[in-house]
Amino acid sequence: MRKTAAAKLLTSEFENVALQHLDAVYRAAYALAGRRETAEDLAQTTFVKAMEHFGSFDMNSNCKAWLLRILRNTWIDQLRRMRIAGPAAPLCESIAAAGTEQDSVWSNPQDLLENFADEQVIGALSRLADEQRLTLFLVDVEGLSHEEVAEITGVAVGTVKSRTSRARAALKNCLAARAREMGWAGERRWTI
Amino acid sequence: MDHLSEIELEELIADGSGDAGHIHLTGCALCRERLAEKRAIARRLRDAFEGIHAPASLGARIGLAGRASDRLEDGAVRQATQQRGAGRRSLAAAISAAAALIVAIPLLFYLTTPSTAIADLANIHSHNLSESGGFISETDPEMLAAYFKEHLGFNPRLPEPNHGLALRGCCVRHFQGDIAGSYVVATPDGIMSIIVVRRAPQSMGMTERIDRGGHAYWRSAFATSNMVSVKIGDYSYCAVGEISHGYLEDLLSSLLEQ
Repeated sequence: MRKTAAAKLLTSEFENVALQHLDAVYRAAYALAGRRETAEDLAQTTFVKAMEHFGSFDMNSNCKAWLLRILRNTWIDQLRRMRIAGPAAPLCESIAAAGTEQDSVWSNPQDLLENFADEQVIGALSRLADEQRLTLFLVDVEGLSHEEVAEITGVAVGTVKSRTSRARAALKNCLAARAREMGWAGERRWTI
Repeated sequence: MDHLSEIELEELIADGSGDAGHIHLTGCALCRERLAEKRAIARRLRDAFEGIHAPASLGARIGLAGRASDRLEDGAVRQATQQRGAGRRSLAAAISAAAALIVAIPLLFYLTTPSTAIADLANIHSHNLSESGGFISETDPEMLAAYFKEHLGFNPRLPEPNHGLALRGCCVRHFQGDIAGSYVVATPDGIMSIIVVRRAPQSMGMTERIDRGGHAYWRSAFATSNMVSVKIGDYSYCAVGEISHGYLEDLLSSLLEQ
């Protein structure tokens, strides 16, 4: 009888605490890896590592942040092992640094953005530097606070804010460049 | 006029904090536009990921990986021992570790119904290959049809025995509290099971949709088996085997054309 009660308790706890975040971990893995197959492997490795340390997990802390921190560290480890760390200055970041779009404002951003397919938006995100990509994903998609993202990425809150701002500018540049290629800006008379 | 900094705008997006920012916005059209643009980008990014979900098979894979290495059990024991010694373990974590020793990883298989359904489909295929549990080793389509009619109440569609295809037998099995018809087809690419169930593919955790010939095919995988399902009438026909998704779809397509 005790076993049954304990089993039910663990089932409930594990489901509530860890596996309910499977989607969030997988999405973050997809944002980092850019490919579904790699994302699945990355998410799986993350949960296996989480299992290893589940006994030490503080039930009163934020499990989603805990899992995402494991995910980030796993991703960094994989990059190091494979020696394929992302390009030092991805194209979009370079454009952002050059300030081509920094001082301009889209006149009708919502309509412009509706032209993009989901894959194009995710593709543009994938062109950002790793830490920018993860930071913007966590803030915008997962809706985490700057403090939570700071905890996950291991940097100061101020760094998260500035990184988010730069990432958003870089993403805007990528999308703006694509909009110009497609002729959307001209046709619809956006002021970019 | 000093406009809001990029950081102040990010703070407004994140939590709407900053009274000074709000006051400034009421009198500054440019900063309102800048904020609207950033919010639109954030919203579009969020929407783009809305359709991204972990495959149902991933939960099962995590369970398999964990069981293969006994990570949960070993990790929980090690951590519990270390932390008990250090006197830092919380009551909740202690309960968790103790319970982990009792139930271990197999629970993970059954935490979600879709994963369980996919695992059950793979299990039926596995039973079919072992020809156990009431499997009828019969290759005559008419005999198989008669068997299904008697035990299942209707005749599922069977492939035409040509182009290297051969029926190997059939059975009726329990699936998720219901009755499912199942038969085995030998193909040039390997052995597959066709399992006929009442549930929709999506409700079984098949999330990868392929549109082909005006029909929606749903893909999944469990362990070494690939799966494809398509609705034919009131039933879902699930093709399961260590065969490519494309080939499984080809066979289901031939059933649809009948």
